[in-house]
Amino acid sequence: MKKVIAREEHCLNCKLCEVYCRTAHSQSKDVIKAHLRENPVPVSRITVQGDNMLSVAVNCRHCDKPACVEACITGAMQKDPETGVVTCDESRCIGCMTCMTVCGFGVIKSGKFAVKCDLCQGEDMPACVKNCPNNALVYVEVGGAE
Amino acid sequence: MKYVIIGASAAGISCAKTLRENGKDSSIDVFTDEAYMPYSRPIISYYLKSYVEKDNIYLNSPDFYKENKINIHTQCPVTAINAEKKTVTTAQGEFSYDKLLIATGSKPFVPPVENSENAVNVFTFLDMAMSEKIKSYAGADTDAVVIGAGLIGLKAAEGLRKICKSVTVVELADKVLPSILDDKGALMVKETLNKNGICVRLGDTVARCNREGNKVTSVTLKSGEEIPCSLLVIAVGVRPQTALAEEAGIKVNRGICVDKDTMETSLKDIFAAGDCVNSTDILDSCEKIIALWPNAVREGKTAALYMSGHGEKDSGSFAVNAIDFFGQQICTCGLIKAESAQELVSLKNGYKRLLVRDGRLIGFVLIDDAERAGMYTYLIKTKTPLDTLTGDLLDTPSFMMFSKEVRTERLTGGVKV
Ligand SMILES: Cc1cc2nc3c(=O)[nH]c(=O)nc-3n(C[C@H](O)[C@H](O)[C@H](O)COP(=O)(O)OP(=O)(O)OC[C@H]3O[C@@H](n4cnc5c(N)ncnc54)[C@H](O)[C@@H]3O)c2cc1C
Repeated sequence: MKKVIAREEHCLNCKLCEVYCRTAHSQSKDVIKAHLRENPVPVSRITVQGDNMLSVAVNCRHCDKPACVEACITGAMQKDPETGVVTCDESRCIGCMTCMTVCGFGVIKSGKFAVKCDLCQGEDMPACVKNCPNNALVYVEVGGAE
Repeated sequence: MKYVIIGASAAGISCAKTLRENGKDSSIDVFTDEAYMPYSRPIISYYLKSYVEKDNIYLNSPDFYKENKINIHTQCPVTAINAEKKTVTTAQGEFSYDKLLIATGSKPFVPPVENSENAVNVFTFLDMAMSEKIKSYAGADTDAVVIGAGLIGLKAAEGLRKICKSVTVVELADKVLPSILDDKGALMVKETLNKNGICVRLGDTVARCNREGNKVTSVTLKSGEEIPCSLLVIAVGVRPQTALAEEAGIKVNRGICVDKDTMETSLKDIFAAGDCVNSTDILDSCEKIIALWPNAVREGKTAALYMSGHGEKDSGSFAVNAIDFFGQQICTCGLIKAESAQELVSLKNGYKRLLVRDGRLIGFVLIDDAERAGMYTYLIKTKTPLDTLTGDLLDTPSFMMFSKEVRTERLTGGVKV
């Protein structure tokens, strides 16, 4: 499957990936409105970690054997057998955060539902990759992960 | 290949799914004595407090079982295993198997409580049928009493709080959630319960029920206090359901004994997984019952891989738990106490308690401070030496704590870009 791969040598710590992720997962899909006017506040599913000296953007690895799916107590978290994308079905998620407690990458955020990267399903390229100004994020065909 | 699975819950269903993923032509028959299609057991408290509708309790759509040719036999208890003939006796007759999984889970432990026998308003809280019964029995004028402040007791209490006039939890230990929390963490949870209108009596228990006819009307505690009670939930703990295995001659020692890598029992071709088995904790090498959903799912999967000849050693058990009570978020993992272990505590955001032994993380309690909690779980699971990490372990974990090599390897999965 295709995954987002981060190249820390190129990361500027600008956090535009976070901005555009949040926008892509907002109601308005508008950068300004998404940041200031929406309730619930849209949440970025990618996080830049580190500082101006060294940083890297981290999002869901869509693992071959996803710990979150195995641990989900309601069956809301699923890995699509065809696309390999791991998503949370919000209608079945109870927000217990067992997934967040087992994800070794720390990429699931808590809220009313588990919030995580869905690789911007339906788009050619995830918003974080599309809007990274320095190619620190690339979207490539890869083998497995953890 | 003919597979038979006893129990259609976490372990049983993950086994069935994995068996199907690894073989198209086998027959898979799953038996449950419950009346429901496979559902999420932990969700019963969310149903009680009307957070989820009945339609949303199920693990999979009915089509899923059809498409994958997994036959779920509801209301069909298995009454005997005949290991020599390789058959099981069920309410629908005999079924033969090549490989069998026992995933019979837990049953509630009900201690004798004087004068509680056959009362119409005394319940346990372990399955959907009970949750429905309690929900239809409880009302705005109900005084509810829950015996036991473990996970299940507190979940019942939280659900009942939404409905009842009063809810009192009585716990013999000196803290709530005694098996997963340290003293400080337990105190914080107790305060949250109190703030939300649940009375908690610690170091005490129900000595006697007082009743009118077939109804309990109040309970008398060991301390002498009498509390009005029109609904009593007994939730002091669960026991592995092992009778079937024992009668078949399978080795049982509290839980069903299994090979920790394969989940095979002492009898060939019979496997067991989930709450009904003794798991081996990778953190202290002790055999114990780890009655938690993710553990049951993983063990069911491992069993399936061996049953279908695709064996891959089990990655090992340890406790991980996430729960919330009235919005307070509690995540715990691993051990809560261990000899010669060191405690690291931070109160910066909520409450964070890390347990370190021999330079490795072996447990945590996180209350309202669980950001990236799974990264700690990763350190526990992989037994990462902490001296290979940089930064303060008590800060929110980040990939920057790893060396460049580890960070790159983990984030790219070895893909060169
Ligand atoms: C209220 C509540 C809240 C919980 N919350 C959490 C939580 O937040 N996180 C967590 O990790 N865990 C939680 N748990 C624990 C979790 O539900 C269990 O660990 C898990 O369900 C174990 O799965 P299992 O497949 O081993 O067995 P079980 O879920 O116990 O299922 C076993 C099934 O087998 C059936 N069975 C038994 N004997 C027979 C027979 N002879 N013939 C046919 N069928 C039989 C039983 O009726 C049952 O349906 C909770 C449990 C409860 C009750």
